Amino acid sequence: MPSPRPDPHPPVVTGIGVASGLGHGKDAFRAGLFEGRSVFAPLARPGRQRGDGSPPFFGVEMPDPPSILPPRVERTAGLSGRAAVAVLDEAWREAGLDRVSPERIGLIVGGSNLMAREQLLSLRDYADRLDFLPPRHGHVFLDTDICGLCASQFPIRGFAHTIGAASASGAAAIVEAVEAVRSGRVDACIALGALQDVSLMDLQGFRALGALGAGPVCRPMDTGHDGFLYGEACAALVVTRPGHSAGTVYGRVLGTGFCTDGSRGPEPNSEAQVRAAQDALAAAGLVAADIDYVNGHATGTPSGDEAELATMRRLGLGHARGNATKSIIGHGLSAAGAVEAAAVLIQMRERLLHPTLHLDAPLDEAFRWVRGAAQEHRIRHALKFSFGFGGTNVALVFGAPEGEAT
Amino acid sequence: MDSDRIAEIIIAEIRSTVPELEAQPITRGDSMADLGVDSIERSEIILATLEAIGLKVPMVQLHGPRNIGELADLLHAKSKA
Repeated sequence: MPSPRPDPHPPVVTGIGVASGLGHGKDAFRAGLFEGRSVFAPLARPGRQRGDGSPPFFGVEMPDPPSILPPRVERTAGLSGRAAVAVLDEAWREAGLDRVSPERIGLIVGGSNLMAREQLLSLRDYADRLDFLPPRHGHVFLDTDICGLCASQFPIRGFAHTIGAASASGAAAIVEAVEAVRSGRVDACIALGALQDVSLMDLQGFRALGALGAGPVCRPMDTGHDGFLYGEACAALVVTRPGHSAGTVYGRVLGTGFCTDGSRGPEPNSEAQVRAAQDALAAAGLVAADIDYVNGHATGTPSGDEAELATMRRLGLGHARGNATKSIIGHGLSAAGAVEAAAVLIQMRERLLHPTLHLDAPLDEAFRWVRGAAQEHRIRHALKFSFGFGGTNVALVFGAPEGEAT
Repeated sequence: MDSDRIAEIIIAEIRSTVPELEAQPITRGDSMADLGVDSIERSEIILATLEAIGLKVPMVQLHGPRNIGELADLLHAKSKA
């Protein structure tokens, strides 16, 4: 249920760390987004090829995460763990979390079944010599190992756990981080959308479902859309009470909506998407007319795009500018909601909107998608959608920093 | 394979598991715990050594050695049994 009245001092985001196919860190992310650099290519990481001569899966893979862990720890951390530490390090420094008491800092890692590719590779490597399986396999296969890894390297002593909401996991982590700060459970909470390190099995499953596109590019909201393309990504956002962190404010989290619709599989549900948005708007004390920018879930699946357009029509968002971050960096699955929320806040700060790539023939010409090149726009109130298989619908309303909103 | 050769394998596995010890002299008289190798790392090193020398014994049979030399002697004895 939405809050009865808007929070007079809503939580703010004061630190961001990002990793994607555009590179590591916000500078690479910002430059790539505004330039609209297309980074789709055949997926080359081991464990993502069929090996039977059939065409490769297309998507986006990131450069190797920067080496910031001690060597003995780094060799035990997988790709998801190393990406998580890299974005956490960037967000932590920016927000100045060293000044916050460790017991007052929480971490929520969005995502589940995060390390499928490395499990597939381990099975291949150890199938005929299981007696020599390194004992670390007994704990690193857990998604919560990312929580443990992060808290072993950074002084986080409030709480650290995961939240799973399929492709809405990163957004769900933000919802929970906002709640943890609003309730006073902690003063600062890091919402981390973890890198979903998909395996060949996951990719083939998505393809069998009809959700995965053939490539070589992804075309959200375009009549030529044929499914999403996977993109490795990871992002951390530091959510705090105003004044509880040294970082400068990117934006305020004015309202959240998080509801389930009763679907088990991949089917979108526009009614529930509308409900999530209405809950988020009500919590923010806003109406749809106040929203001037929408960052779509916009995956490029035919049924998903159509349902989301119906949702935007129902809500009356035809006046707002919009774009699809997945058209540039692909679909980060568990990370998507967090990395795209980071894109919202960076665009808010830069007063610039990134283009939607490959949007040549929009499904609905009435919507004001940013196409071609980046466009100047001062975001005052943004709406971010994030949906997940299993009937999960999340909407987030962000406001410009105090004093800039009006 | 004699005990000294097994000790060399153990020491190489220690260095690859804990790269921080790369430059540190390590001898048969050192204990892994004293070198700062933690318990999961010790298990990993012992398993990797077992695989390298082609020996399959339950880990519970390998408790007791107080240093690398004694561990090498024990593995050497097991490999001859």
